[in-house]
Amino acid sequence: MADVIFSDVQKNFGAFTAVESLNLSIEQGEFVSLLGPSGCGKTTTLRMLAGLEFPTSGEIRIADRVVNDLAPGQRDIAMVFQSYALYPHMSVGQNIAYPLKKRRVPKAERAKMVAKTAEMLQLTPLLGRKPQELSGGQQQRVALGRALVRDPKVFLLDEPLSNLDAKLRGYMRAELVELHERLGRTMVYVTHDQLEAMTMSDRIAVMEGGKLQQFAPPQDVYREPANRFVAGFIGTPGMTLVNGELRHEGGRWLFDAPGLSVEARNLGPDARPGPAAMGIRPEGLNIGTGTLPGIIQLVEQTGHENIVIVRFGDDLRMTGRTPPHQLWRSGETVQCSIDPDTAHFFAAGARGKRLNAPLQPATANGRVSKTTLKEAKS
Amino acid sequence: MKLRAIAFNLFAWGIVLMVAFPLFWMLVTSVKPQSELFRRPPTMLPEAWTFEHYARLLFDTNFLRYFWNSVILSTATTFVVVIIATLGAYSLVRYRYRGRETLAFLVLFTYLLPSVVLILPLYLMLVKLGLSNTITSLVIAYTTFALPYALWLLRSFMAGIPEDLESAALVDGASRMGAFRDIILPQLLPGIISTALFTFILSWNEYLYALVLVNSDSARPLTTGVMNMLISSFNIEWSLLMAASVMMSVPLIIVFAFLQSYLTRGFGAGGVKG
Repeated sequence: MADVIFSDVQKNFGAFTAVESLNLSIEQGEFVSLLGPSGCGKTTTLRMLAGLEFPTSGEIRIADRVVNDLAPGQRDIAMVFQSYALYPHMSVGQNIAYPLKKRRVPKAERAKMVAKTAEMLQLTPLLGRKPQELSGGQQQRVALGRALVRDPKVFLLDEPLSNLDAKLRGYMRAELVELHERLGRTMVYVTHDQLEAMTMSDRIAVMEGGKLQQFAPPQDVYREPANRFVAGFIGTPGMTLVNGELRHEGGRWLFDAPGLSVEARNLGPDARPGPAAMGIRPEGLNIGTGTLPGIIQLVEQTGHENIVIVRFGDDLRMTGRTPPHQLWRSGETVQCSIDPDTAHFFAAGARGKRLNAPLQPATANGRVSKTTLKEAKS
Repeated sequence: MKLRAIAFNLFAWGIVLMVAFPLFWMLVTSVKPQSELFRRPPTMLPEAWTFEHYARLLFDTNFLRYFWNSVILSTATTFVVVIIATLGAYSLVRYRYRGRETLAFLVLFTYLLPSVVLILPLYLMLVKLGLSNTITSLVIAYTTFALPYALWLLRSFMAGIPEDLESAALVDGASRMGAFRDIILPQLLPGIISTALFTFILSWNEYLYALVLVNSDSARPLTTGVMNMLISSFNIEWSLLMAASVMMSVPLIIVFAFLQSYLTRGFGAGGVKG
C-alpha cells in the first residue's frame, strides 16, 4: 500500500515555480531519496510533506489521509533537519522528550521512552548536557533521537549527514540503513549527495528545476538514466556526454561526432536519425586496446583505481578508469575503444530522453548496495 | 611601546575621571551640611556628614509620590513596549507579506523625527481621549518613541534565531503559539532584557514629554517633580537636589550592574545586524 502520495502537487513562490506537477507514490516501509542539485525543489517537496510549506495546488496523502490542511504536528511525522535544529536551551534529555511532552505523554512514561531511545543511540551519558557541548556527530544522534522517540508513520530527513566529516558520514549512512531496516518505517531522505542516495535508498527520485526526472531503484537510475540530465548527474566520475548525430545505414545505427564514429546498439523504438547525444560511463571506455587513438590528458590515482582523462581529436575529452597497476603518463598516445553495448543514447537537448531499449532487471529488488554497505561496516 | 601603553592608560583614566567626577560631586554634596556647600575653597570630602537632606526629601516633600509614579510609569511602558515589539518583530521576521520592509522603515522613520515636533499633536490627541494629566498618557507617549528602536533591536535578535528551530517545534507537535513560547522566547531572552532595560532607562529619565503632558502632582514623575519642587526662579535647593539625584540614580545603577552583560550584547546585535 502506498504510504505517501503526491498527486499533481505544485508549489509556486510568487512567479517562481519551485515544484511542478509532482506525482510520486512512496510505498509503506520504503526508503526514498529525493536527489538533485541545489534549488531543484527537493527540500520544498519535503517541507510540503512536513506541513511547513503548503502546496499551491495538488494533493498530498499520508497513510490514506489527505494532509494538505493539517498542521505539521497532526501529520504523524518526524523530521531531522540539516542544521539538526536542537533546542539550545534544553538538555539532550529535554530535547528528546519535547515531542512526547507536546503530545501529553505522562511524565513517567516519557522518561522511560527517552531512556530507551538514548540507549539505542548511545546517548545515555549525554542526557544532561546542552547541545552546544556536543560534537557534530553527537548532535546528529540527538536530532535522530528526537525523531525516533515517538513512533511516527513517516520519517523525513533533510540532508542530515551533510555537516559531518567524511568518515563519520560513511558510518552514519550504514547506521541509518540499519535503523530503517529495524524500524520498517517509511523514510523520505533529501540529499544532493548521490553516493548517499545510491547506497541507502530503495528508490531514488531525481529532481531538477522543480520537476521529477526519474523515480526508480538506484541501480536502474545508474544503468538506465531516463534522460540526459539524470545520466550526467548520477555517477562519479560522471558520464561523458558527446553531442553528435544518429544515422541509419545498411540496417544498423551509427553515431557520429567530431573525431568519433561508433555503432549504436540497443536503440529503442524512439530513436530517429538526427542530432542526439551519446553517454559513456568511465567503465565503458577501454584504455590501451582498440582502434581509437587518444592522448592521455590527466591521471588521478585514487589508490584502488586510476581515473584517466583521454582527449580525442581537438576537444573531445572522455573519462575512463583503469586498475591501479596500469599507469599512464600525461601526453602519452594510447589506443582506446568504446564498448558499444554500454553506450547510452539521448535525444538532443539538456533533458533529452533516453533512446536505448529497456535493459533486463539487474537484481530482484535493486538493493544490492545495502548489503555491501553492511559488510563494509562489519 | 611601554610608554605608549602608559600614555594610553593615563588618557583612558583621565576620561573616566572626567565622567565620574560629577557623580562623585553629586554624592558628596548630598551628604554635606548646608553651611559647607558654598565654602571656598570647597571641601573634597565633607567635614561633617549628614543625612538631613535625605530625611527632608523623604518625609517633608512629595519625593516618594514622584518616585512611585516613575516606577509605575517606567514599568508599564517597559511591559507595553516589550510585548508589542516582540510580537511585531516576530511578524516582521517570520511572515512574508507585501510592504513588510516598508512598514519596518516607516516605524523607524518616526524615531528620526525630533520629539519636540510630535509633542503638540500627541498632547492634543491625549486631551481628546480624556487622558491629559494621567500616567497613562505618559505611558502612551513613551511607547511611541521607545517602540521603533525596540522593534528594530528585537528584529535583529529574532533574525538571528534559526527558522529551523521553530519548524522543528511545529513538527514535534507544538502549535505556533506553543513554539513561540517554548522555543523562540527563551532564545530571545537576552534581546528582551536589553530592550526592557533600554525602555526602562528611557522612560525613567524622560523630561520633555512629562513636562508638557502632566502638570498635577498626582501624576508627575521624578524628573519633572524634582525640578518643580526644588528649582524656582529665586532659589535652587542644591543639597536636596543632589540627594534626589542620588536616589533617582540608584535604581538604574542597581539594574544596570546586574544586567550589564545583556545590555552590551543587545547593543552589539543592533549594531551589526540592524
